[in-house]
Amino acid sequence: MKITKEVLLRVEGEALLELDWNKGVIEDAKIILPSSRGIEKILKSRPAMDALVITPRVCGICGHAHLMASVGAIENAMPKVGLSEKAKLVRDITLISEIIQNHIKWFYLFIVPDVLKFKSIDLLTPLKGKRWFEAVKVSGLTTRIIALFGGQWPHSSYAVPGGVTSDFTEREISKALSILKEVRTFFLEKTIDMQESEFANSLKKTHYGFGGDLGIFLDICADYNLVDMGKSYNRFITGGEIFPCVEPAHYTGSRRLCYMNMSCVREIKGEGYSKAPAVRYRDLPYETGPLARQFLSGNAVVKSIHKKHRDSYITRVVSRVLEIGVMCIQLEEKLRELYHHIDEPSYIEPSEDLKNLSGEGAYAVEAARGTLIHRLTIEKGRISEYSIITPSQWNLGPRAGGLLGVAERALIGLDDSHKAQMVVRSFDMCSVCTTH
Amino acid sequence: MKAVWLQRFSCCGNTHSLLNHEDIEFLFGEIEFLYHPSLSTEQEEHVVNKVLNGEIHLNILIIEGAVSRDDSLIKDLASVSDFVVAVGNCASFGNIPALSDESLCGLQFRFKSWGGLLGDNFKGKKGLPVINLSGCPAHPEWIAGTLLELKRKGSIELDEWGRPKKFYSSFTHWGCTRNEYFEWKVESKSLGTAHGCLFYKYGCRGPMTGSTCNIILWNGVSSKTRAGTPCFGCTEFDFPRENLWETRLFAGIPAELPKDVPKRAYIMISGIAKTFTPDRLKG
Repeated sequence: MKITKEVLLRVEGEALLELDWNKGVIEDAKIILPSSRGIEKILKSRPAMDALVITPRVCGICGHAHLMASVGAIENAMPKVGLSEKAKLVRDITLISEIIQNHIKWFYLFIVPDVLKFKSIDLLTPLKGKRWFEAVKVSGLTTRIIALFGGQWPHSSYAVPGGVTSDFTEREISKALSILKEVRTFFLEKTIDMQESEFANSLKKTHYGFGGDLGIFLDICADYNLVDMGKSYNRFITGGEIFPCVEPAHYTGSRRLCYMNMSCVREIKGEGYSKAPAVRYRDLPYETGPLARQFLSGNAVVKSIHKKHRDSYITRVVSRVLEIGVMCIQLEEKLRELYHHIDEPSYIEPSEDLKNLSGEGAYAVEAARGTLIHRLTIEKGRISEYSIITPSQWNLGPRAGGLLGVAERALIGLDDSHKAQMVVRSFDMCSVCTTH
Repeated sequence: MKAVWLQRFSCCGNTHSLLNHEDIEFLFGEIEFLYHPSLSTEQEEHVVNKVLNGEIHLNILIIEGAVSRDDSLIKDLASVSDFVVAVGNCASFGNIPALSDESLCGLQFRFKSWGGLLGDNFKGKKGLPVINLSGCPAHPEWIAGTLLELKRKGSIELDEWGRPKKFYSSFTHWGCTRNEYFEWKVESKSLGTAHGCLFYKYGCRGPMTGSTCNIILWNGVSSKTRAGTPCFGCTEFDFPRENLWETRLFAGIPAELPKDVPKRAYIMISGIAKTFTPDRLKG
């Protein structure tokens, strides 16, 4: 029996992996998150609107999702907030764009370099390969869509109770569509090597034939026996909605139920090695994120891969990569729809002044990594309690109540620490979100 | 030019800001990143040890995130680096993490006090104090521009906060599309509109925040104020202030005036501006 401890590479923020080995096999695993920034603490007693500036700073890669959760929770605490269709569409457009930029970076910067240890490919090599740079560029381009409507990315605060602050024109919509075309072309030609119609059809099929960089990745995984590693509880949850392609649901391991009851989501104190509390749904650990979203929304390819490989490394990676394409389709529809709503107000002043408000609010959104929940209590316009449950807390949080965290459980039985790091990264680990 | 980038108490936002740089491939060609936690495949420890045992001469140490006062590794690395760069408001001034934790600070400041982890008198081997690229996050052009200038000239001119003058001596409202409203003291009547200035009611810090946000724009296309959001002053030591969406008024005028404008001048100019405001701006 020996214990090893190593720093996790290429994850968002700082994290350590502690592994207990028995005869060359991992018998126990702990994901150690040593630091926390106390963001919930500094929100206390501030005016509620300050949350719109401070909570995006939880995370440099999904800050926009925090803004959406924050504004949703504040609106939920207010009586009757009117939102124009235009404002709703813009919020979805920017949220989806953030998911797309995240997934592109995650696949090329965090995931692919792992398999290059088995077989080196110059094109994909970090900081050197042509494709690596193309991916960074396309991901950066995607954030430009957010800036067109939200001013900047990272860290904008353009969503406010009652709508959005920007008063844009058709020009911004057309520009966003043009950027999207470039992003989608990169995804279709380079990432999966498929025609557009072929991709749309493939989502309905139960067999798949991905080429491109995903194909290369899958071949290496098959050659080196990486396909079935990383299985966990096989329970999935999605709490937010991205109309019409994602809606709240959960899968218990045997049944799919088409709702998530927010009052059944609980944070419980985990063991002290992680600064993050564990999150449970009806007292059980659930996996959230693209695999959960795609599985629960009936993506046929993902369901067929899941049928064969369950919630393994490969199912997780393929779900996330395919979500780029699924989200591109949604983004185009929403952008085109936005032209029809251009004359609506961006912002409708809420009937009640937030400064006098007392109440409680909660809101769940789908961030790149899964379900993000903000809850707050406001007393006379000021925050008296703020609580954030991040997707990475669901997936990478510690053991509690005798049950391992989702990612911890996925590491048991592996025979190599590099593989353990790969599995952790398949959850798209964000330690800055987990501890916030 | 060899650089090492380390993260401490941060959201990684400066990393993602940098990755948005339009000429990232060129930058990584000019500056060799020996280590970056989000990009490298090598272990931090290996690279850091090579620097500390003298095998590698480190030109630029870049820190993202607030730091703990007892971070001896950063101290050791800073003492052998030509230049030390704090990227973002957390590494510069402590920012959000330092608000909730007394033991955290920036590299050479804690909010407005000199000191920080490295102390008042710290200078890198080439003679400059910590170069603060403040901002939450720092604009990618500020990061790239500074690194390239250090490579080209071996120095960069800094202001009293240790920030490169070329990026921080202008104000956020330079280039703001609402400037005519600012001149004539016309406030935005509501959020969600391109008209009116956000300085008078919505807390905009554009006239007293050092940046080039509205000159070079974010993501190449926009800025907070252009998108109708006030500037929150995120390049200054006191970010995030309390009550970020509201202008504090004192006897009907903003309690904090644009930088270096005397109150008497402000009141006189306001009177004239308000009397003669062109109708087309009143809307």
